[in-house]
Amino acid sequence: MSWEFFGTTLAAFFTLSLYSFLYKDNPFYKLAEHIFAGISAGYYVGLIWHSVIKQQLWTPLFNERQYLLIIPGILGLLMFTRFFSKVSWLSRFSLAFVVGNTAGISLIRQLHGMVLPQVRSTFLNVATFSGIVMVLGVVSTLIYFYFSKEHKGAFGFVAKIGIWFIMVSFGASFGYTVMARVSLLIGRAQFLLTNWLHIIK
Amino acid sequence: MIMPLIFPLGLPLGVTQPSLDLYDKVESLKEGSVVLLTFDYYPSTLPETEPMSYAALRQLFRKNIKVVTVTTIPLGALSVMENVVKNVAREYDKKYGTDYVNLGFKYGYQAVLLGMGRRIEDIFPMDAYNNKLETLPLMQRVKNYKDIDFIFIVSDNATVDYWVSLVNAQFGTPMGAGVTAVMAPKCYSYLQTRQMVGLLGGMKGAAEYEKLTSNPGRAMLGMDSQSIIHFAIIFFVVLGNLGYFATRKKEVSK
Repeated sequence: MSWEFFGTTLAAFFTLSLYSFLYKDNPFYKLAEHIFAGISAGYYVGLIWHSVIKQQLWTPLFNERQYLLIIPGILGLLMFTRFFSKVSWLSRFSLAFVVGNTAGISLIRQLHGMVLPQVRSTFLNVATFSGIVMVLGVVSTLIYFYFSKEHKGAFGFVAKIGIWFIMVSFGASFGYTVMARVSLLIGRAQFLLTNWLHIIK
Repeated sequence: MIMPLIFPLGLPLGVTQPSLDLYDKVESLKEGSVVLLTFDYYPSTLPETEPMSYAALRQLFRKNIKVVTVTTIPLGALSVMENVVKNVAREYDKKYGTDYVNLGFKYGYQAVLLGMGRRIEDIFPMDAYNNKLETLPLMQRVKNYKDIDFIFIVSDNATVDYWVSLVNAQFGTPMGAGVTAVMAPKCYSYLQTRQMVGLLGGMKGAAEYEKLTSNPGRAMLGMDSQSIIHFAIIFFVVLGNLGYFATRKKEVSK
């Protein structure tokens, strides 16, 4: 028995173990679930150690003498002070850096990369039929989510149009989600029939 | 579902405009251009995403385009990327370091995406095989996004939003994406804004790209089953609704 066949059989066993949950919760399902969680955690730790700690901090700091890296190194270590209540406040320096950095990047990203291009393209083809539908959809949906005024009269009518647009959007998303889930099932069936049982060439 | 996999029905497969646009864009790239191909997906979505990577890489290598691969996903993507790239490179007799480079994985996608715009070597001092980037001929001319002609994203998560809103918005690098079906409705808005040139949605998108690149694979094989299941779902939805209306009519008449 080759190692490849052993690996494929093991993968097939775990696939069938996980699908056995469709019948009911059982030890095979739990075994597969726990092994997956354990291996994922171990793999993640090893990957971060190698690609972040060693490659981005240890090697450039000690082998290439990039002493500026001491600052992020210390900020990283300060995060571990959360385990010690007396000095846990020190971790706030690291957190402040992370929060500030993320907020700054996200603000620009959302405005420059999302909101402005979307607004611009929404009103770009307003003269065409699809452009009118687009503007109607955006405005009516926004009105539906405006809750400071009661949805009555003309305002309520436009809000109802907004609901229709939202429903169409949900329908499209649901259709795609069905396709995605079916694809995953087909993928597993292909694996079992092709790689394991060799029924499909 | 299983029978069409064993005995394919060969149901017709149409190609949508977003898939065609993505294919045409890659076809329009000149020989020797540089494409950044991302593997931003977990193994759990392989049936949808892996065929896209295979089809894209085959098209790129067929056109003698230089490829730089990268992933921002820690779990499994590195192994998948290595497997796909090695298999296709062997098919087209491509040489590592000259024709393609595998940058591997780096934690913290926001910083990675932004940092690569300044200098790739700052973020990836070494490739996935611990070679210094400066020693790889291809990376001597690829320093940042300015040296990259196109970004082909294959993703199953929100990183595609970051590629669009950080890299396209700030550096202007043209891009297209292959995403899972769950993500596709949201990503269509990036076509509207022309932040992406084309889009592949789910297994259908993957099958379309396999068809366009004349590389029939697992996505095309799976589409017969997909269609049969969709017919079954539609049938039961209609049946359920007819049953509901019939029951309601009876209740009203009582």
